[in-house]
Parts: sequence; C-alpha cells; structure tokens
Amino acid sequence: MFFPDNYEFFCPTKINSGKRALEQIPFELDALNARKPLIITDKETAKKGLVKKITGAFRDSGIAVGIFDGVPPVPDLELIRGLANNYRDAGCDSTIAVGGGAVVDAAKALNIVVSGRPEDLKAFAGEDLIENSLRPLVFVPTPLGTGFETSRFATLEELTFSSPFLMPDLVVIDPRMMTAERPAELISTAMIALAHCAEAYTCPAKNPMTDTYAYAGMRFIGENLANVIRSDDKDGRLALANAAAMAGIAFSNTPRGIIHEVGWALGDASGLPPGICMGILLPYGLGYRMNSEGYHLSDMLLPLAGAEIYVGTEENLRARKAISVIREMQHDVRDAAGGDIPLTLKDAGIAKDALAGVAGTAAGDGAAGFSVDDCLVILEHAWEGKSITSS
Amino acid sequence: MNEFREVTPGGKPFKKAYVALMLWFVGRAIQAAAKVDGDVKKEFEKLPEGFTFCLGVMPHGPYMIVGKDRKERVKYMGWRREGRSIDLDMKIKNIEAAILMFTFQEGTAVATARDRMVVDGEVPYACAIVRVLDIGEVYLLPKIIARLAVKRYPVWSFGRKYIGRVRIYFRSIVGY
Amino acid sequence: MYLPEYYEFCCRVKVISGHNALEKIPESLAKMHAARPLIITDKGVSEAGLVDIVLDAIRDEVAVGATADDVPQDSSLKVVNRLADVYRDNDCDSIIAVGGGSVMDTAKGVNIVVSENAHDLMKFSGAGALKRALKPLVVIPTTSGTGSEATLVAVVKDHERHLKMAFVSYFLLPDVAILDSRMTLTLPPFITAATAMDAMAHAVEAYTGLAKNPLSDASALAAISLISSNLMGVMENPSDREGRLALANAATLAGAAFSNSMVGVVHTLGHATGSVCGVPHGMCMAILLPYGLEYNMHKNAHFTEELLVPLAGAEVYAATPKHLRAEQVVAHIRKMNQDLHDATAGRHARFLGEVKDGGGRQVVPREKLEDIAEAALDDGSIFYNPEECDYEDFLMILRTAWEGTPLDRGLIKGV
Repeated sequence: MFFPDNYEFFCPTKINSGKRALEQIPFELDALNARKPLIITDKETAKKGLVKKITGAFRDSGIAVGIFDGVPPVPDLELIRGLANNYRDAGCDSTIAVGGGAVVDAAKALNIVVSGRPEDLKAFAGEDLIENSLRPLVFVPTPLGTGFETSRFATLEELTFSSPFLMPDLVVIDPRMMTAERPAELISTAMIALAHCAEAYTCPAKNPMTDTYAYAGMRFIGENLANVIRSDDKDGRLALANAAAMAGIAFSNTPRGIIHEVGWALGDASGLPPGICMGILLPYGLGYRMNSEGYHLSDMLLPLAGAEIYVGTEENLRARKAISVIREMQHDVRDAAGGDIPLTLKDAGIAKDALAGVAGTAAGDGAAGFSVDDCLVILEHAWEGKSITSS
Repeated sequence: MNEFREVTPGGKPFKKAYVALMLWFVGRAIQAAAKVDGDVKKEFEKLPEGFTFCLGVMPHGPYMIVGKDRKERVKYMGWRREGRSIDLDMKIKNIEAAILMFTFQEGTAVATARDRMVVDGEVPYACAIVRVLDIGEVYLLPKIIARLAVKRYPVWSFGRKYIGRVRIYFRSIVGY
Repeated sequence: MYLPEYYEFCCRVKVISGHNALEKIPESLAKMHAARPLIITDKGVSEAGLVDIVLDAIRDEVAVGATADDVPQDSSLKVVNRLADVYRDNDCDSIIAVGGGSVMDTAKGVNIVVSENAHDLMKFSGAGALKRALKPLVVIPTTSGTGSEATLVAVVKDHERHLKMAFVSYFLLPDVAILDSRMTLTLPPFITAATAMDAMAHAVEAYTGLAKNPLSDASALAAISLISSNLMGVMENPSDREGRLALANAATLAGAAFSNSMVGVVHTLGHATGSVCGVPHGMCMAILLPYGLEYNMHKNAHFTEELLVPLAGAEVYAATPKHLRAEQVVAHIRKMNQDLHDATAGRHARFLGEVKDGGGRQVVPREKLEDIAEAALDDGSIFYNPEECDYEDFLMILRTAWEGTPLDRGLIKGV
C-alpha cells in the first residue's frame, strides 16, 4: 500500500445514507444548532414531488421551513441576492440543497452571503479566501449531478470559489430521492464520479484518507452501474449516489486531474455532458499516466476487479489490466443502455480539428501540471479509440 | 419572488398514536415481567432504589416511563416525563425510526447500530434495560417476529415461555 | 462493497501527517484564529522529550500560553477543572494535546469547561448537550493505538461522586490531528506491539460488527493493511520513520472506523479485564481479538474472510479456499501475536494466563474470570456485537482466552 511522506486531508462532511434518512434531518439540524432551514431546489426536482418528501420528513418535528424551488439552470448574482433576502426575512439559519449541479452552486454561494456580508461575495472568489465556517449546509442528492456537490468548489457566473468551508456539513442520501432517470444521464453522473475516484486513487498526491473515499466510490460504481442501467436496481442507485458523494470528497483533497480538466473543457466546447466526455477520456487519460513517475495505476486493479484477478495478473500488467477492466465495464454499461453511449470522441460527433482548442483550454496556464501536448495526445487517442500505452 | 414560500409541516397523529399504544403496552409488560420472570426481576434488583427510565420519541413524545418505587416494586409510571428525574433516557430520534422499531423491521440492536436512538445515562443501566427489553420482546412477540428483533432467540423451558407469556399478557392488560 | 440499509459516517478531523507535520501547527492555529495555545500532556511524554520537540517546532511562530504536563494516568474531573483554570489564568485561546488516550480525554474535557464556561461539567454530558463549536483543539498522539484523535467521545471520571461521565458530540472531535513520526520514534517495542494491536482490534471489530459501513470499512481495510505490512519492521528496527508514520496513520484510520462503527465483544471483555485486573488495554485487545472473531464467525464469516487480503496479502487470500479464509484470518492474527511475543522476549502475552506484571507475577488469576464476566455485563460495546453474549458466553470466551487454546465453536449457543 502506497504511503506518502506527508499529506493533509480534511472532510467536514457527515454522510447519512439509507432507509428513512430524510427523517433524521431535523435531529441533525438541531445538533448543528439550526432551527429553520431554507430548502432550495429547481423546478424539475419540485415537479417530481421531491420537495414534498423533504417537507414530509419535517412533519412532527415542530420545525417550519422556507422553500425556494425556482433555481434556474444558470444561477446568477441577482438570484443569490433574492435568496439571501428570503433567507433573512424568513429567519432561516441553515440551507438544504435538494438536487445537483446549479442548485448546490446556488446554495453554496447563498451560504457565503448569509454567513458574512452580502456585498462581499466577489471578495471570496478564489482559493481559500473564506476564513470562517459558514452556516449549516445540508445536501440531499438526487441521482444526477456534476460531481461538485460535495466538493470544496462552487461556481457562479464567472466566479469560482474554493474552500473546505463550502463542503456540506451533511449529505443525506435517501432511497426515496433516487428517481428513475434516463440511462445517458445516470451514466454521465457515474462517470464523473469514477473519473474523480480513479484520478484521486492513482495520483501522486494520494494518501490513505483520500484512498478511503476513492476506494469505496470506485467499488460502488464498478459493482452497480451496469445493474442500475439494466434493471433499474434501487439499491444500486443508492450505492451510486454514495459513490458520487465520496468522489467529490476525494476530489477536494487531491489536485484536479487531467481527465477532469479535459473532460470539462470538452464538455464546454462540444455541448456534450461532461460526464460522457470524462467516461470516453477515462481509459486514455489513465493509460497516458500508466508509466509516469509517481502514479499508481496498478493499485486500482484490486478494488476494481477483486483479489483473484489481481493476483492472477502479473505485476507489470496490472495497470493495463485495470484499464481494460474499466473499458469492459463501459462496454457492458453501453450495451445495457441500448448502445447509444459513445466510447470514442469520433462516435460522439466531435470534429477532430476541435481537439487542439480543447487541449489549450484544459491545460490553461500549466499550473495544473500538464501541458497542451499532454491533453492533445489523450484527446487524439480518445478520438480514434486507439489505446495509449506509453508515458 | 413567487417561488419562495414558508411551510409549517403538520404532525403524524396516527403513527404517534400507534407508537404510544405500543409504548403503553411495553411499559405494562415490563411491570408484569418484573413479577413473573426471574431474570427481569434480577436485572431490576441490581438497579438502584428509585431508578427511573424513559423510552420515547424525539422531539415531543410519546414516552413511556418505568421505574422502581420506594418499596422496590417495578411500576409503569405513565407517559408524562415532566417533573420526573430520569436516570436513563432512551430517545428514538424521530417517529419514523420509532415506527421501524415498533413494526419490528429493526430490532433494538440494529436500531442502535444505525444511530436511531440517543441514550442519556449510565451505560450499565442501559445494558440492563436492553436485556430487559429483549426478554420482553421474546414474551410478547411470536417467535417468527421476535427472532428478527433479538440477536439470538433464547431456549426457554415450556413453562417460562408459554405460561410466562400468558401471565404477562394477562397482567399487562389488567395492569397489576 | 457492502452498503447497509442505513448508516452514518462522520470524521470532521483535519489530518496532517508527515515527518515534519508539527511544523504545520502554527499555520493550522492561525487558520482557526488562535495564537496562544495551552499545551496539555503528561509526565511520561514530557520526560521523553516529546514536548520539547513540539515546542521547538512551533516556538518561533506561536506564543504558547502555558504547558501543563501533569495529567495523571487516571485523569479526573479535578484535573480537568484545574487545567481549565490554567487555561484562563494564562489567557489561552486554544489547546494542544500531546499524548495518549488519557491526555486527549482530559483536553476534550478542559475544552468543554473553557468554551462553555461551565462550572458543572456534568451539565454537558447528555447527548446533544453541546450545541456549538468549542475552542480550537489540536491533538498530537504519542502512541499509535487509541485512535482518540478521531473519536467524538471523552470520558472523565469524577472520583468524588464515583461517576464516569461520558461526553459524546461531534464538537468533541479535534479540529486537527497531527501525525508526526518523531512522536512515536522512541516508543518501546513492547508498547508499540500492544498499541498497534489495539488499533488492529478497532479496525477488525469495526469491519465485522453490526454498524459497519462503506467508509468505516475502507478505513479499516487501510488500517489493517498498514499495520500488517509495517508492524514487524518497526519491531525489528524501532527507528524506522516510515514504518512509525504508517502505524500512526493506521491508528487514526482505525479510530475513524470504530468511532463510526463501534466495536464488539473483544472490547467488552477487554474493558472488563482492564478494569478488574489492570491489564493494559492494548494487550487485552491483542489476546482477545482472535476469540472475538471465532465467537462471531457463524454470523459474520463472510465479512471476516475479506480481511485476509489486507492482513496476509491478495496472494494468500486467492490461494486459500473460500470456506477456510475466515479461519485463516484468525490464525494469522494468532501468528502476529506469536511473532510479537518472540520479538519482545515474551513481554507481549499471547493469552490471559500469561500476562505478567513487572515483578513477574500473574496479573489475571484464573479465579478472577467470573468477576471479569460479571463486569462485562455492564459494558455497552456489546450492543454492536453481531452475536448475543450473556454471562456464560463471556465466561466461556474468557476461559479459553486464559488457557490460550482456540475457541471450541461447538460450545457457542445457537451454532
């Protein structure tokens, strides 16, 4: 087992998962010294009746709640200002974000505002500029998300916030929130989680604590994704939601990886869901790092494939085997979904001459530790579906 | 903004009534078992004089209070906890968790393992009371259900199991 | 990966690990807006020179308010109140605890008193009694065993009222745990062995118990793997820095696992043996662990067998037929105890009858076993054990663990 000379790890997030988890929220809020939550979500989620499930969990608790169910797909500062007024006027002291992506971004931004001074929101954009813990934030996931929900990140308009204080205090994963969703969307969410776990588990900055979250997340996805797509397995969906929560935590404690960055840039440029992009890139991005100094690809085989296969594979072939296990899983998932999930960028309809631009965006100023060329090699191989074996 | 509203969620009167009924019955059954069953009697003998314990649901009940009176008799003391000094306070975190327990979907051990309860008071008291509750469940429930509620279904003599059960049911209903 | 029908997991402790982790303390304190810590420790730790190492690492950047190095082995309410006065008299704004379980429990108790301005600590002993964050608390474990740096519990004794007060709250989790190899480098082999097996027992019981969950499981697997691949190396070469740091990490991981998943009959009997006969906790854990696994095997062999991977390696796991893996786990732990026994010239006891004090006298006389079984009935850890355990069961386990023979599983009720 790899063990680093030094590391730091922090996760303030408690996870409550399973049967009747929602009904524990009032107790947990009380433990966080909160008495009146503001539930925020989007129209889509409200339409599925999921807000009612949350308010139902407050019956008999004696707690009144505020509800805002109109978070748009792209929240802006204006929205946050309005929410902050609602929050204060109704005397709220905590936030419950229901759903994924934009809703959680809005909840985190709101939490910065209501925990400090409203005009200061912009001043907190950047790395580690929030100095104190914020008001209690509870996150109740549905099956779809961007992978940022449990992370230390939030984005709003052009602003990006990064602070451990943005991680939710509590994640409540309840089977009743695990609605049936379209396979492509479920796969997209799961692939973000898998990419985040795999990059955290194999990167040079890994440590035993990030390993814990990444290990559990990877195993849940490997063991459940195909079943969920094939047979709409309810326990499986709960396991996937657990994996997504864990992935965000591992992701927050390791540097952003190349698959993540290229996947996002590609999603932005092409309009494809970022998870589908990360799924396509995953075997190539991992393959690219296979022989790189300090990466731990072969460690991944044990959680992904189990002890028998791990032992049955020669040591110098384990990294390659791990990648082929992921590839097999992706083929299995694609078949389960009826075949319309692309596994190369060509099949996804990406023009080859768009790749250079994506590589440039992903590499940025190089601070993330990889170059335009690194990104481009991965993109080109992923476009054609040609496996990478060199470093 | 019209998407904002405030809601005061209502109660769950039927579930509360069911749990209240169950607690009432369990309380009277403990009182009866303390007279009928040797093991329960011994557990209570080891507890201090005036010992009182409460089993209930957060945040506002229902509750059940059982204690030893001055003559060392074990008594069901009703559902009002106000003004009582409680030595062992076992609180189920919410009414849904209580329903899981009292519909025997989760036994005491599983509910504890799942953090469904908070316990205030000295640990040895809690150990004793959990043993009493387990014995009570074996008396009150048919084997097929009690097996789910306790870790190991005990092997009891015919007399203890069947005659004891009739005596406890009778005493619980009549209340002495 | 096993997903229980319901679970909760929380470990809000920032972990900083390294060979120079102590040097990160000033930055950590500054982030929590603290500048004047009270250092709480005990005589053993300070005489071993460990407090000096801490002070050297932080002196330039932090003005230490005071250093209290007189926490006794058996800490109490009196000590907590006295240290709270030291904290106030020296205008401290944070606490650094350097030591083992007793020091950390004391520091947590002091933190309640100074944060809540409590005159009666008892008022805060109920579940949910603490409602807000306490003063910043940095803990530096000096043994790799108790895992208190990752637990939300503090136990404080009130000798006058003969009470053992237990405080349970997420606010009792330390803010920062510093794992620095320098803090355990001089730990004698005999204590290294016992404390590592304490951590091992935390991890194993968390993994095989009723409250297991995926994050506790992953932490436990990592802890077991780190212990089994580093312990013997450290026994042979006590100044192995990497090995020391790995064991410190294992203890914290195991602490996180058991803090969330609790422990079972091994701890029930271990606590009782400790309180009746004064056997060091880690030694009880090492001796009783194989017996606890055997006792529960008919309920949880399918979990126990998975531990063969981190304990013995994937090769051994794959080469062992499935129906023998759980028993192999037990055999492996017995073998570890034997190896530790050999490596400590016999000081690491393999069974209860073998435990000797400094003068070579037997610490657990056979006739004390009934008392231990009686005391075990009062220990709450049994709630989380997979199988029921009554007085007769306790006694049966104790008798075999006293003799050192494997448990006759035919004697277990309900098998």
